[in-house]
Amino acid sequence: MTGVGWFIPEYLLLAGALVALFAERIFRREGAGAAAGAAFAAAAAIAAVAIGVRPAAFVGGVLELDQVAVTVRVVLAALAAVYLLWLSGRGMGPERSREATALVLLATLGGMLMVASRDLMVLFISIELATMPAYVLMGYRRDDARTLEGALKYFLLSMTTSLVMLYGFSFLFGISGSTSYAGIAAAPSAGLLGGFAAVFVFVGLFAKISAAPFHYWAPDAYAGAPAASVAFVSTVPKLAGAAVMARLAALLTPGVTALPTVIAIASLASMLLGNLAAYPQSDVRRLMAYSGVAHTGYMLLALSAGTPAGNAAAILYTIAYAVPSMAIMLIAAEEGTSVDDFAGLVARRPAVAWAAVVFLLSLVGVPPMVGMFGKLVVFTATLGAGRLALVLVAVVMSVVSAGYYFRIIRAAFFAEGRAERIAFSLPAGIAVGMLALVTLALGAFTGPLLKVLTSAL
Amino acid sequence: MLLSAIVFLPLIGAIVAALVPKDRAGIARWLATVVTAVDVVLVIFVVLRFDVGAGMQFVERAVWVPQLGISYHLGVDGISITMLLLSALLSLIAVVASWKMDTKPTTYFAMLLLLEVGMNGVFLALDFVLFYVFWELVLVPMYFLIGTWGGPRKEYASIKFFLYTLFGSVFMLVGIIALYLQTGTFDMTAMIGLGLPATFQWWVFAAFFLGFAVKVPIVPLHTWLPDAHVEAPTAASVLLAGILLKMGTYGFIRIALPILPHAAKQWAPFITALAAISIVYGAALAFAQTDLKKLVAYSSVSHMGFVMLGIASGTVEGLNGALAVMFSHGVVTGMLFLIVGMVYDRTHTRMIEDVSGLSSQVPVAGGLLAFASFASLGLPGLSGFVGEFLTLLGAWKSTVPAGWVVLAAVGVLLAAAYTLWMVQRVVLGTPSHAVADIPDLSVREIAILVPLVALTLTVGLYWNSLLRFTDPAVARIVALLAGA
Repeated sequence: MTGVGWFIPEYLLLAGALVALFAERIFRREGAGAAAGAAFAAAAAIAAVAIGVRPAAFVGGVLELDQVAVTVRVVLAALAAVYLLWLSGRGMGPERSREATALVLLATLGGMLMVASRDLMVLFISIELATMPAYVLMGYRRDDARTLEGALKYFLLSMTTSLVMLYGFSFLFGISGSTSYAGIAAAPSAGLLGGFAAVFVFVGLFAKISAAPFHYWAPDAYAGAPAASVAFVSTVPKLAGAAVMARLAALLTPGVTALPTVIAIASLASMLLGNLAAYPQSDVRRLMAYSGVAHTGYMLLALSAGTPAGNAAAILYTIAYAVPSMAIMLIAAEEGTSVDDFAGLVARRPAVAWAAVVFLLSLVGVPPMVGMFGKLVVFTATLGAGRLALVLVAVVMSVVSAGYYFRIIRAAFFAEGRAERIAFSLPAGIAVGMLALVTLALGAFTGPLLKVLTSAL
Repeated sequence: MLLSAIVFLPLIGAIVAALVPKDRAGIARWLATVVTAVDVVLVIFVVLRFDVGAGMQFVERAVWVPQLGISYHLGVDGISITMLLLSALLSLIAVVASWKMDTKPTTYFAMLLLLEVGMNGVFLALDFVLFYVFWELVLVPMYFLIGTWGGPRKEYASIKFFLYTLFGSVFMLVGIIALYLQTGTFDMTAMIGLGLPATFQWWVFAAFFLGFAVKVPIVPLHTWLPDAHVEAPTAASVLLAGILLKMGTYGFIRIALPILPHAAKQWAPFITALAAISIVYGAALAFAQTDLKKLVAYSSVSHMGFVMLGIASGTVEGLNGALAVMFSHGVVTGMLFLIVGMVYDRTHTRMIEDVSGLSSQVPVAGGLLAFASFASLGLPGLSGFVGEFLTLLGAWKSTVPAGWVVLAAVGVLLAAAYTLWMVQRVVLGTPSHAVADIPDLSVREIAILVPLVALTLTVGLYWNSLLRFTDPAVARIVALLAGA
């Protein structure tokens, strides 16, 4: 069978998950599992680069590695590697980190299969594979009632919306008689039925990536979960989700011409609700949960353009969001999850404080960080599609976002805080440093990134 | 390569300065001095090699994001060279003026150098995305300069400054993208003379107006300025007033007029009205101030009104005058903030009622303050006069309503009145309690003021020293305006 070797990165992640569970039997050191997992994820990223684009179909066309799939899977594996590197240095608080490592690798594997999927059934299974570990990660602190409440909320809502999405898939199958993307594209699902199908599918996806008005699980789930779990769950699966949304939007829009409008409405709601609700939060996790809703709104803004440029911009923007956002949650995991815990950060850990400035300003969209280039391509694509009013809302909301992101910067730089600092950890330092470097420098490579993301979806 | 070196040398300096160990602050200080001094030398080299008749010179260009027509594109012409010189010079002066900075000095000098990267870049960028990058880059170090080393209300002032300017610039970003979608490029030079549709021009001009007007600032978008100026440390006030405000008016001259000439004409009466109001309102507020720094801050609002008046006139005289006011205001206000800062270092007060009789206790400081004040109010023979005269002349010759020009002229009288009243209270009289025992200016302090005094006299006595650079570039813009 051709193409077995194309999925070496996926095998590596699977192997890494198993190794991580038992590595600490051999090395007898907390964090060895995470370190092994990081190595496997890094190897997966490198393998994915080496394998590159394989446009031929695999196993009857259920999986395919086009340019977008390759780019996103490289980024997913690389982000997972950096995350696990951090985890190997810091751990999951009082809990063991080796199960977390396995879960992270399995979720990443699911994400990578999501973007390679060319069939609704495979897509659904991949989405479940990507989210199942996330439920456990969000409820990782077993003895904390709030953690369990948040995780349960996340689980129930996510399962419900999964079923709505599956219901939508069943309509698509009913219309076209096929679950493959090619079959659906050949028989466009137009009319009222097609509209229902598309809306059901997208409601499921909106909930997965926490777009308003299906975002209610996110703040509670994030605020209950360990910050380290949030760092992963709020970023890596979201990137896979964005890529899948771009693909499905391109697939369904020819039949359902109103789909971009549906996406635009969700975008508007997400930008307004996310940014305004993030403002009064005093917990960094809740703040980042709402700001995550807002950034999902910007991503959907690009999708609402309904053009290839818009779809590419959506994925680029999600990458530009995921990197700094993960880093901020990692810092919160080290420093404490209240905004006040950041007080005096510059005095006790100046390098981390300045890295936090880079991340937060990138999220605001201040150049030269990557966030500004993400916003530039998103706004360009959306204005190109004639959605001026939405872009004006987006730019005003990005000023509002500066208001709440700067509360963290003000705490870190201008407030008096505790003096004692957590022990230095080389792997964690390298991980945050790498994220800072990528945030700073990725903007310069907007051209190549756009090129690999603009190929046919 | 020369222009890139001018822009990015301070960036390297900033990175190195930030990495200097905390207990070896002297290294950071010397590094900042050397880097900014080398930058001044490089800029002077560019000035000497500059061909005043030609257009864009020392152009550097490289493809950046080909899909979107974004390029790395730098160049200098008669308009930007005056601002570039001012930026490099004031950066050096800001560093030397902060010689005794002992709170987190390494970070402080790194921030000053980072600020210079943004300032130099704004005046050299010829690609909109690059321009926007530098434009926004300026905000970050200034936020920290005000927020960390500022006065009692520094946190409020710094975030207000940041949010206000960000609010303006995101609309500018929308305008930039709209221009891109219309023309297919982000290259400023390629957008000139395209004859864009009139309605489109009007709306894009509105977006740019918001971005630039906040920065200038034009009344009623000026309320961030007094807070930021008063709370900022001396060096940051100098750069804020000397360079950052000019970025707004530079944007009008470099971008709004040549690319959107038709809209510029349509907007001219409105801008003239706001400019005249800024002049009179700023002057009136300056009258009421009891804090020296606040007085200088409001006088800046008034002076920048003259720049906008010249820009709105769209005449050769008006635009030359606008550039002359920009240059002169940068030099003179820099001087005023420096002297006020030096006095504050000694007396620990900036209240006009507490400081009097400087001329008898500290004759050098008092004399220089009087000199700078005369230059500020537009005394003929000093640099301030050149621009105010030319902008009023240009505005009078243009088609804008004459009533506003008359109102602006009244502003000149008001400026003379509030400035002389300040000089009378602060410089003359018997030394007050706070002034009684203070020492006069040190050699270092005099040394940083001397170049500014020399420039004030040179430009004031020999106008052509400045106008020979700006005039050919201005003539090209006026021709574009006439063609629209």
